[in-house]
Amino acid sequence: MNETTQLRVMDFDCPTCASTVERALSNVNGVQNVEVHYTTGRVEIEYDDNVADPDAFAQAIENQGYTPQPA
Amino acid sequence: MNAQTITQYYRKNRKAIVTASSGLLYGAGWSLGHFTGFNTASAGILILAAIIGGYDIAKTAYYEVTNRTLGIKTLVTLAAIGAIVIGEYWEAAAVVFLFSLGSYLEGRTMRKTRTALQELLEMTPDTATVRRDGDLQEVPAHDVEEGEVVLVKPGGKIPVDGTVVDGESAINQAPVTGESAPVHKAYGDEVYAGTVNQEGALEVRTTGAGSDTTLERIIRRVEKAQEAQSPTENLIDRFAKYYTPGVIVLAIGAYAVTQNAILSLTLLVIGCPGALVIGPPVSIVSAIGNAARSGVLMKGGEHLERSGKIDLVAFDKTGTLTKGETTVADVEGFGVADDEVLSLAATAEKKSEHHLADAIVDAARDRPTAATDGGAAVAHSDDANAERRSVPDPDDFDVVAGKGVVAHADGQELVVGNRALLDDRGIDVPAHVAEYVRNREERGETAVHVVRDGSVIGVIAMRDELREVAPGVVAALQDASIQTVMLTGDNERTAAAVAGEVGIDDYRAELLPEDKQTVIEEYQSDGHVVAMVGDGINDAPSLATADVGIAMGAAGTDTAIETADMALMADDLERIPYAVKLSKATRWNVLENVGLAVLTVTVLLAGVLTSYVTLAAGMLVHEASVLLVILNGMRLLRH
Repeated sequence: MNETTQLRVMDFDCPTCASTVERALSNVNGVQNVEVHYTTGRVEIEYDDNVADPDAFAQAIENQGYTPQPA
Repeated sequence: MNAQTITQYYRKNRKAIVTASSGLLYGAGWSLGHFTGFNTASAGILILAAIIGGYDIAKTAYYEVTNRTLGIKTLVTLAAIGAIVIGEYWEAAAVVFLFSLGSYLEGRTMRKTRTALQELLEMTPDTATVRRDGDLQEVPAHDVEEGEVVLVKPGGKIPVDGTVVDGESAINQAPVTGESAPVHKAYGDEVYAGTVNQEGALEVRTTGAGSDTTLERIIRRVEKAQEAQSPTENLIDRFAKYYTPGVIVLAIGAYAVTQNAILSLTLLVIGCPGALVIGPPVSIVSAIGNAARSGVLMKGGEHLERSGKIDLVAFDKTGTLTKGETTVADVEGFGVADDEVLSLAATAEKKSEHHLADAIVDAARDRPTAATDGGAAVAHSDDANAERRSVPDPDDFDVVAGKGVVAHADGQELVVGNRALLDDRGIDVPAHVAEYVRNREERGETAVHVVRDGSVIGVIAMRDELREVAPGVVAALQDASIQTVMLTGDNERTAAAVAGEVGIDDYRAELLPEDKQTVIEEYQSDGHVVAMVGDGINDAPSLATADVGIAMGAAGTDTAIETADMALMADDLERIPYAVKLSKATRWNVLENVGLAVLTVTVLLAGVLTSYVTLAAGMLVHEASVLLVILNGMRLLRH
């Protein structure tokens, strides 16, 4: 079943950082759709909860050098 | 300090540590080369500075390239690699360090803008004290069920939307409505999640909790507003897509023609559209955040930018310029007792939902049971406990839109309405009645005729008090060179009197709801950018037709939050000049940012082509321009 979760990234330092994080999250297994908003730092992730592990979302963001926080 | 603490510290301050390390190595490498002549050692340290500072940049650049979203990091990476390849180690380290420093400062500044929006999210408390099975239990706020009673202590934040069932207090509603003065709440009054209980303990029956509260709806709307990009943002996004690859092509072209690698690399760095891309969204997000904290909900950049062009504000009269609480000011019987006039009118109007009908029926119910004689004004009962009179139902009842009602009761035909209705039905209006009506209308009152079996037996004059702030609001808009217009269904004389009291530039009277829409279209075809202020539901067609629809009193009304372009959470007219001025300031701010970005790139480009600007200097000015547009946009947070 598809679920949606939100995270917040406050240390984006350019609009393309948002694209980078969007890309990294899109590659996480089970992620259906990702929206990353540079100006608010909001990250919305739609995923299949049978496949995706929500802990992997924060890890994917951290791997790009950014710090995820709960929304 | 253990390893875990060090790791945590490093993670938290990674960007600052990387930037500082790169800067120190850059300084050491440059000094070594400059003062001792150890060029090999100097080159090694400068390359190390470039690698340490550039690792994150290159990693993001890799994602940029694979993602086909070429940005400044790709250009900086290309420039740094290029500089190392041609042996300009100092330039490579300088570009990376300056970019890293700029990014760090930019991130810190940007965080302030984001935090301002985050504050909105943190207004609702996480837990609520609920009365369950006779006990008080502390539970997560989103777990409170509709209908449960929540206890709110003095000084505490209200965790749910609901209705007061016990206690009374002053509530600071600023987080939801933007009103600075506390509002007194007692039994039966609505309270909102996120507002602050300042005085006494309250028990609140929940109507909405968790994501189903007014504040949550506002937050969701504000977040969604970021997605509705302004025309300028859209234009820049489209432009940036082609611009960055264009800069790369230009740099390659410049190298092909001049064989000057430094010139080509400098073009790469200074050509970045950083300030251009960042400027408009920062301005718009700052303005939307500021507005939300002041109780004004802007529905996105598009509306905000359009609001900046408003040059005419049209006000609905009833409930907007006036309090919307119509009361009977006077009843005048002509050959019939005042009380009888009022009773018959109330019977005729009893089934109508018009606000004038409500006023007549209420007045009839509240009159003292002892009838007054002809000529007396509406009397008020001294006995507060006097029973309300009952008003009989009519036998039948018809509404004539915009004119009045026709009803039958006890074998009599009753007509209650304006002059147009009487003219339509061929009812003669005696001169002294017409004179009386004229007098009342010239005072800004609405007078309706009461007719029994074809003869006018009386007139009821009604008044809807002006909001005290209305004249000040109109004057503030006029000071900002904005034309003001009042639209009303009232007749010419009443409209003229009210317009005179408010000091409004122009008015249009005797309008049906669809006429208001036509009037707005007329103003638009005359070239005006029109904002319409109304209550969000009755004025829906004109709010939708206007360039910017401004709904008042939106707190608690989903329709208003969803349909208007701009919603005032409280019934506070004074927010309108603020909102219009904020929109105009935002529009200028966006233009300033775009202008500054274009000017910086143009001047730098000229400087590079005339060899006045070096790679490092270009990067420094470039980063400074990015910081400047962010700081300029952030001014709107405190407008």
